[in-house]
Amino acid sequence: MEDEDELPLFAAVSSSARQLYLLLRCINFSEKAHVQISEEGLKFSVDEAGVMEGFAFLDKSLFTSYTFRAPPPQRSSIRDSDDEEDEEETSTNPTFQISLPSLLETLQIFGLTDPNNSKPPWARDNPTSTAFSNNVLGMNNMCRISYDSFGSPLVIVLTEASIRTTCELTTYEPAFADEIPFDRQSLAFKTIMRGTWLFDAISELASTTPARLTLVARLARSQKPYFALSASGPLGSARVEFNNNLAPSTKPPPPTNPPSVENPAESPNLLETFQLSNPETTLRYTYKFSLIQKAARAMSVATKVSVRGDTQGVLSLQFMIEVEAGKVSFVDFRFVPLVEKDGGEMDDETVLEEGEGSGSGMEDEE
Amino acid sequence: MRFKASIQNITTFTKLTASLNSLGPLAWVKLSDDQVCFTIIPEQGTQVWAVLSIDTIFETYTVQSAANNVINLEVPLISLNRALKTALNATSAQIRLTKKDNMPVLALTIVTTSSSNSYAAFPTTGANNNEDAFETSTFDSAIGGGNHETIITQEVPVRVLSPDIVAGLHEPQCREPDVHIILPPLVQLKSISDRFTRLAVVGAKSGMGTTSSSRTRLEVAANMHGCLKMSIKTDAMSISSVWTDLNNPELDPSQVAGGEIGIAEHPSTRMKQLGSADGRSEEGWASVRIDGRDWGKVMSVGRLGGRVIACFCHEHALILYVYLPNDNGEDESVLTVCGSAVTSCPNWSHPE
Repeated sequence: MEDEDELPLFAAVSSSARQLYLLLRCINFSEKAHVQISEEGLKFSVDEAGVMEGFAFLDKSLFTSYTFRAPPPQRSSIRDSDDEEDEEETSTNPTFQISLPSLLETLQIFGLTDPNNSKPPWARDNPTSTAFSNNVLGMNNMCRISYDSFGSPLVIVLTEASIRTTCELTTYEPAFADEIPFDRQSLAFKTIMRGTWLFDAISELASTTPARLTLVARLARSQKPYFALSASGPLGSARVEFNNNLAPSTKPPPPTNPPSVENPAESPNLLETFQLSNPETTLRYTYKFSLIQKAARAMSVATKVSVRGDTQGVLSLQFMIEVEAGKVSFVDFRFVPLVEKDGGEMDDETVLEEGEGSGSGMEDEE
Repeated sequence: MRFKASIQNITTFTKLTASLNSLGPLAWVKLSDDQVCFTIIPEQGTQVWAVLSIDTIFETYTVQSAANNVINLEVPLISLNRALKTALNATSAQIRLTKKDNMPVLALTIVTTSSSNSYAAFPTTGANNNEDAFETSTFDSAIGGGNHETIITQEVPVRVLSPDIVAGLHEPQCREPDVHIILPPLVQLKSISDRFTRLAVVGAKSGMGTTSSSRTRLEVAANMHGCLKMSIKTDAMSISSVWTDLNNPELDPSQVAGGEIGIAEHPSTRMKQLGSADGRSEEGWASVRIDGRDWGKVMSVGRLGGRVIACFCHEHALILYVYLPNDNGEDESVLTVCGSAVTSCPNWSHPE
């Protein structure tokens, strides 16, 4: 027991604070973030008024060394004496809140003192860049994160050259425990596409400062997937449609030479996966646009995004972010849907009919 | 009362005025036979007492007055800096004290040679015409001449201070410092301290208690083992950066009162006994607390690129000596920047 107290509960060393920064920046929409330390990695979660959540999972593989010593189990049984059975699993992993902006600012201290940080390390005209210079070796990105015991601050130590920066982030009691329930077992629909396409669509729609974003998914005739994002606000409405197999009229070059030869890696389909639990109906969920927009940073850096909605209408956006070649991390968002009024639904219905008409027209041409 | 000089080192002079301007709007400039002093005493914040040897910025320098050939001027730094900026590409620049409508002004006469790009493609003709233009006039070279000589005169209104006004102004006396250390490049220090100040604002926002935004109190400390520490504390976090392997210059016995004995009894000798070179020890630090924004302004003297020695009087004052490099490699000119510690002077931090 004595030496257990001396060793920290958790200690990890990362050789690239930039990776951590890039991932955590995706969920930087709230002042406080929950941190849960577990055997597998660090989970950062951020909550916005209980209707939106963002998670970034820093897998232990992102760190060059990762030690987590699970706290002694009696600790949790003392604390949760009345309901120890179901609390045992979760309470052993330390959970606390920290100031996320402070953490992000700290991680950015790297490279500040490097006069060449504006140039890439491989720049030829950089006289100080040798094979052994700090930024090539990644030395100036060394960062150590540790958490000694319950209630102690989260300590981040950054070392570069002869400067050592120590940051102690105050840990706060966790405020929320419940995640937004998302039922993976009863998915209403699922689609996978490139992150940048979703980003482009959202940025395009954002220009009209809409209030709501409606997500429409259905199977058109001949089992063609149809996915659309339509935004509506006081200034009007706009819609971005994602169609697999573009109609020939919209494709400028004649389809004589197969386009897939040029870039075989690129899927000819805009939507990589498209599943609807009930193909007969049109799925339509509405969310607050400003909340969806908060995930824009993740959209812009993600290679792929999986858009899922469960039967309750909860939207899950899972972003696959390539932090370095071949190594992927995931950032998740969940959104609670807006409850639609009857009148609003009627309006959407008419818009949708038009869309359906044009869609079928395009199919006829093909 | 006469003052006339040609400016030898326009870039240094411009950087100096820009740096000083960030610390205070008005400078007391004392021109005497052997040196030029720039002094800034703002209502609150950091004082600057700069002593420049004349050849740091001037050459062919003449100063005459009834009071021992000393002229005291109050110069608005922003105007002087703006005037000097136009001289950055000048071939020559002169400064003199004159009167205009009975108002004393510092007149800068700046001669620039601007060559338009199309003519610059023919360097030989351009050079020939340039010489012609010199001999004849500056105006008739518009067609034939490649280079145009332009004379710009900038006038900076100043106030002449009588000797009895400045008689009461003295460089603040401070006790012998506990720690003296050569600072890392100020640009590096500034980038970190600016980040700290921003962190404090972020931290104050996320902190539960509503802390006033003025509380960006940086704590700067150093020991006699080559360590410098800068830290800031907010509700949400505390962060500190430690520099190691810096240099603590040796004291010169001839400069310290009491010679060898004086050094043996010097506070810094005592501080040498404490602390460690890795900066992990709690002991041996001389620290001062300063306002983050003020510190950022002080750090702007880093653009002069001189060697900086910081002298720490524990919980009292921090004095920075900035040695400006000269052409001959020796550094003679000294900028003294004194910041009193926040503890002894609570209204030091800026309002808002």
